Amino acid sequence: MSDTAASLTNMTLHPQPRPGTATPWAFPAPERGRLDNGLTVLRCHRPGQQVVAVEIVLDAPLDAEPKGLDGVATIMARALSEGTDKHTAEEFAAELERCGATLDAHADHPGVRVSLEVPVSRLPKALGLLAEALRAPAFLDTEVERLVRNRLDEIPHETANPARRAAKELSKELFPAASRMSRPRQGTEETVAAIDAAAVRAFYEAHVRPATATAVIVGDLSDTDVDAVLADTLGAWTGNTAEPRPMPPITADDTGRVIVVDRPGAVQTQLLIGRIGADRHDRVWAAQVLGTYCLGGTLTSRLDRVLREEKGYTYGVRAFGQVLRSADPATAGGVTGAAMLAISGSVDTPNTGPALEDLWKVLRTLAAGGLTDAERDVAVQNLVGVAPLKYETAASVAATLADQVEQHLPDDYQAQLYARLAETGTVEATAAVVNAFPVDRLVTVLVGDASQIAEPVRALGIGEVTVVTG
Amino acid sequence: MPMGHTATAQAGSGGLTATEHRLANGLRVVLSEDHLTPVAAVCLWYDVGSRHEVEGRTGLAHLFEHLMFQGSAQVKGNGHFELVQGAGGSLNGTTSFERTNYFETMPAHQLELALWLEADRMGSLLAALDDESMENQRDVVKNERRQRYDNVPYGTAFEKLTALAYPEGHPYHHTPIGSMADLDAATLEDARNFFRTYYAPNNAVLSVVGDIDPQQTLAWIEKYFGSIPAHDGKQPPRDGSLPETIGEQLREVVEEEVPARALMAAYRLPHDGTRECDAADLALTVLGGGESSRLHNRLVRRDRTAVAAGFGLLRLAGAPSLGWLDVKTSGGVEVPEIEAAVDEELARFAAEGPTAEEMERAQAQLEREWLDRLGTVAGRADELCRFAVLFGDPQLALTAVQRVLEVTAEEVRAVAKARLRPDNRAVLVYEPVTAEQNENDQEEGADQ
Repeated sequence: MSDTAASLTNMTLHPQPRPGTATPWAFPAPERGRLDNGLTVLRCHRPGQQVVAVEIVLDAPLDAEPKGLDGVATIMARALSEGTDKHTAEEFAAELERCGATLDAHADHPGVRVSLEVPVSRLPKALGLLAEALRAPAFLDTEVERLVRNRLDEIPHETANPARRAAKELSKELFPAASRMSRPRQGTEETVAAIDAAAVRAFYEAHVRPATATAVIVGDLSDTDVDAVLADTLGAWTGNTAEPRPMPPITADDTGRVIVVDRPGAVQTQLLIGRIGADRHDRVWAAQVLGTYCLGGTLTSRLDRVLREEKGYTYGVRAFGQVLRSADPATAGGVTGAAMLAISGSVDTPNTGPALEDLWKVLRTLAAGGLTDAERDVAVQNLVGVAPLKYETAASVAATLADQVEQHLPDDYQAQLYARLAETGTVEATAAVVNAFPVDRLVTVLVGDASQIAEPVRALGIGEVTVVTG
Repeated sequence: MPMGHTATAQAGSGGLTATEHRLANGLRVVLSEDHLTPVAAVCLWYDVGSRHEVEGRTGLAHLFEHLMFQGSAQVKGNGHFELVQGAGGSLNGTTSFERTNYFETMPAHQLELALWLEADRMGSLLAALDDESMENQRDVVKNERRQRYDNVPYGTAFEKLTALAYPEGHPYHHTPIGSMADLDAATLEDARNFFRTYYAPNNAVLSVVGDIDPQQTLAWIEKYFGSIPAHDGKQPPRDGSLPETIGEQLREVVEEEVPARALMAAYRLPHDGTRECDAADLALTVLGGGESSRLHNRLVRRDRTAVAAGFGLLRLAGAPSLGWLDVKTSGGVEVPEIEAAVDEELARFAAEGPTAEEMERAQAQLEREWLDRLGTVAGRADELCRFAVLFGDPQLALTAVQRVLEVTAEEVRAVAKARLRPDNRAVLVYEPVTAEQNENDQEEGADQ
């Protein structure tokens, strides 16, 4: 402490305290089983968690959508809770809310996920409703038609949102036009308009069955006879068996280039800079997580240290890796999964050029000099140390277990990942992040005012600049 | 009808307890033990928010919150963030109309570090606060404003509604983010004065929740915070009281580049902390919470005139709360059609009140939201501070859900009849314009 500091404070200063002894904590191990109908069940007792989380993983990937019907998986997911053989759409919503439950369903590249959260005392009732939605959805013409119109109404709102618009453009740029990944997950105006109840039912019949589904149940289950509840609910769901669906290979064109989505008058530029890289099956994943955190995991990481805390160009820029889809190693036939590796954030319009210049400088400096041991240590301490906080609720544990199922990973994957992170050294983390974000193989999407940002960005030489509208 | 039904045997307090303490310098402390997970949450509420700001300095409380992360006597630069994250913790701070909160969730064995860090900045921030931090964080906050409000469709709706619902000069007339002009005008001396005025131990409540030893925790708190002197420079916020209803329908039409027409409205509602406010919460839940609400069923399912329709409640203790209606229209539907349907539903509700089933659903929804809030140590720490700062009694946090379950259908009807009326709302209508129209308007504006 300096003399000036002393003169400005009149409290007693104490040295920074040392930590106590850490209490061991491990990511919970679920109990895996299978019901007679073929449904895989993972259950995990979490004492004190009164709100139980249930995740259903359905093997209904987006690439299974029929040609021209992009969005049918999304409409099907939403239609599951819009009426069954026993309840109308309004009754179903009312019954669910009477349990104090929430139910969300969405479709993504690996499949459809249905998430239920409910206080444990009402779990049997809510699981009964969930089973009804999976077992006997009504898919009435009127309800599907309403969901289609509602979805069409949502699209302009997404297009107007700079972050959503950037994500859509990046997918279009990265993936070949024939790949489902190049197109919006929830469909376009044209494809959604073509969806009807028959198409929804056909998709359901082809891809939704207990034999290829998994249920994850997490919470305080001490007073619940889970087997009995399951037998009465999800156990009553029937269906045939199906061969696992092979995953198409994932390829992407990451030639360095810039696409400006023109937004005249925008006060900020939304930036999304990405490519694809290794998924969790790759040995490099732990090092990639560690290195990516050092690059842009928090406001004291390399990117925000400059762009936010030194220059004030942004409220925050983050680097992340997000698995798009992983192959089942048992049936992959050489096909491997992939993750989207990206840097995103928004910067004020006049500083867009300088911000990107600094961003590339950060990447070049990292490639040239590597991470420091101190950086690596802090990152490991954070990533491993926050685990008990991150997994305090049933919902967060259930989501990770369901991700593991969806990505064909073993049930102890997350627990092992913490051990691997702790073993990963500075050199490995550096190599992984430099390999993940090579300066000449990044596709940059900028949603902003082209008349102000296109020229300064061209001058940076980070790739050919194309301006698009809309 | 059956009232007070609960989802768990212990709903209400959930078996949780909290103890209260006060240091000689006035710092109030609330402790709550929970040994299920080896984590501990530290939460510090300062009784200062945007309602304490003066004219020409909107946004200062929030800008100041950013400065609290820029170092103090023994913590260099971004050290606060670095040390907490390096210890495996997570942290942040937020600013609202009525308070500023700072929080760290730590692995339990790192609790002492979080207490040391909070005490260091409470007692010695001015030792580190300088122009460089001030200029940098001013730019960061301006970019926060652009990102969250100015560059998003409908992003300034809340600001506009607040400005309509609370009259000029009222402490809640402006929102915590403040205006660009005022953010530009704030000086280092303003920030220093703000600290000297409001950042005192006797103007704060500290809660620690989780896997803690209460005696040891209290000893650490005494050690680190005990020598920070109390001071009483604080002026009470300007009076936020207003008549129970607005008395007329206020209205603003916004022509902007938005993707669809929208009808938004703010209704003036009872103050937080009253039974009437809980009744209003239930009324808004029945009318516009979730997918079985009256407005969702009417506008989204039956009439099919809206993409989404719902109500939210902004609970406020120092001024009337706000019930916030938000309807985005479908296709080419015009706003008057939506407005007529909304008014019809509200009038019917005011006349008939909720059905028994609707009450049960609304109470079950609010109960689950409470279980969620109290289900994490951080959520619990925040709620304990909230009730201590705003209502003087942290124990009220543990019984809040019980109070919601005790409200009757008649009370819900009564508050709807008294408050959810056309002459008690500020209405904001969005009419989309194209980019070209917008540009022409701006050019015309420049000519004048």
